[in-house]
Amino acid sequence: MTDRSLTARNYAMGVVALLLAFVVFIVPFLFVAINAMKTAPDAAQLDFSLPERWVFWENVVTTVQTRDYALLLAYWNSTLITVCAITILVIFGAMVGFVIQRRPSPVSRFVYVLILSGLMIPPAVVPTIWVLQGINLFKTLQGMILIQVAYGLGFTVLLFRAFIATIPRELDEAAIIDGAKPWQVFFRVVLPLLKPVTVTVIVVQSISIFNDFTHPLYYLPGRDNVTVQLTLYNFQSQFASQNNLLFMNILLITIPPLIVFVFFNRQIVAGMTSGAVKG
Amino acid sequence: MARVVLRNLRKSFGALEVIKGVDLEIEDGEFCVFVGPSGCGKSTLLRMISGLEPHTSGAIEIGGRDVSGAEPSERGIAMVFQNYALYPHLTVRENIGFGLSLARVPKEERNRKVDAVAEVLQLGPYLDRKPKALSGGQRQRVAIGRAIVRDPEVFLFDEPLSNLDAALRSQMRIELTELHERLGSTMVYVTHDQVEAMTMADKIVVLNGGRIEQVGTPMELYESPATPFVAGFIGSPQMNLFEGGAARTMGCDVYGIRPEHLTISDGAGQWVGRVRHVERLGADTIVHLDVPDLGPLVARVDGGLTYAIGQQVHASPDPERAFKYRG
Repeated sequence: MTDRSLTARNYAMGVVALLLAFVVFIVPFLFVAINAMKTAPDAAQLDFSLPERWVFWENVVTTVQTRDYALLLAYWNSTLITVCAITILVIFGAMVGFVIQRRPSPVSRFVYVLILSGLMIPPAVVPTIWVLQGINLFKTLQGMILIQVAYGLGFTVLLFRAFIATIPRELDEAAIIDGAKPWQVFFRVVLPLLKPVTVTVIVVQSISIFNDFTHPLYYLPGRDNVTVQLTLYNFQSQFASQNNLLFMNILLITIPPLIVFVFFNRQIVAGMTSGAVKG
Repeated sequence: MARVVLRNLRKSFGALEVIKGVDLEIEDGEFCVFVGPSGCGKSTLLRMISGLEPHTSGAIEIGGRDVSGAEPSERGIAMVFQNYALYPHLTVRENIGFGLSLARVPKEERNRKVDAVAEVLQLGPYLDRKPKALSGGQRQRVAIGRAIVRDPEVFLFDEPLSNLDAALRSQMRIELTELHERLGSTMVYVTHDQVEAMTMADKIVVLNGGRIEQVGTPMELYESPATPFVAGFIGSPQMNLFEGGAARTMGCDVYGIRPEHLTISDGAGQWVGRVRHVERLGADTIVHLDVPDLGPLVARVDGGLTYAIGQQVHASPDPERAFKYRG
């Protein structure tokens, strides 16, 4: 095979891959974006034609105002849940990962098995609701935050533990000789070195918590507890024929995760792969 | 006063005993080197003195105080690690001052102490750099600085030079020896390199299989090694050691002769052998012989002498300096 045919083939494969990615990722987004700018009867057709009349701003205003500004309340609720859950996840996940990695003992091994089973065993909805009702946390944001922490903790601990394994133990020992107490070893030596994996955890978990649909649906019913993904659900029942507003809503709630991704994209990859090879 | 005394110190990992009862006294201001092959327990012993590794039984005294149960930070020790163990997120200044900041020493006093240490180690220009922007030798100096600033009674070094290249290593050997002279502190130094042990130590402790084989000054160990193990470990190239039939003809169980105490001649001599290999080091030449009665024999001769591979020569030991071991 000559060099020229090799480049030609590579070029062709590249074009095919780009086309595939375009169909899978960009086309649905375009469909949403175009339909979000149509009038209601126009959008009811659900086709790929350009709008007959562009009503972008009107749709934005209507979507935000619907149900007494439910979308803004949902933004607030979702952000609150995400920020609180992520804070707890990062602090707890790093601490648990540190203890499990640095102090191997029957107890820490048992805890590790529990954490792994948290990843493997599917969550049961009805018993969780019983428990939440028993401790008066059902239908509360606090309860929702704790549930998100519980669902995310397994993966978070796994990531932190693997990363801490790449930090030489001599650093801990040097700090101990310098007179550091165990909590100082963690907060002053280990935690600052966890920055790459912490960014990964923040981005990955915050997007999945912010975009969560099913868990708020089960555990957080009530008009005042609406979260961003649930606003879609409300729209569909209320405006069965108003697809334009539904799509506008999708566009609006996609923006925050998109911003997070655009800014932290590089750090996510760095955190995922750091420790894979000695660097 | 910082004498270090170990009394019947033992360490077991489960059923495996790695330190089998060590009794040792390290005098105040002494530079003591633990040397031995890998797995002999020298690093474990050092870590037990530091308190990073708990001991199973026995006692450790530092400066007349029993520190057997004390925390590492309460023992008056400082440690330099093989891989330096610098905090990567802190600057050189913060690295050296880390222990002081944990002890809540005021910032001005901390800076003053760090500056003083940096001057001793010529680290002044690098105080605001992160460790990754330093060379290996500079990192090693920062690690030593972190130890000095604590003003410890005892310095512990765990193979601190093994990550450096040969030229830097010999330079750091001299710097460490000078540092010891200037500070006058007790230093305990672990290495597997007998050259480091010979050149730096006041006292060498040869360890083998979790036990002390011999304790003595470098020249004592060189001139009168107590066991064949010490005889083979101290000195470079290694001493020629013969067991079995060859040794019995000499009236002992193990017969040892150092390469530098052999004379090679073309004429008469005690053993006849053929030259297998010649290493020319410039000042010296190391000649490897195959002697049918003994097996391989290594001799160190003057650098001016040349031998051809396969040449038949005679080798004679200096009987005054041969070692004969029984049992």
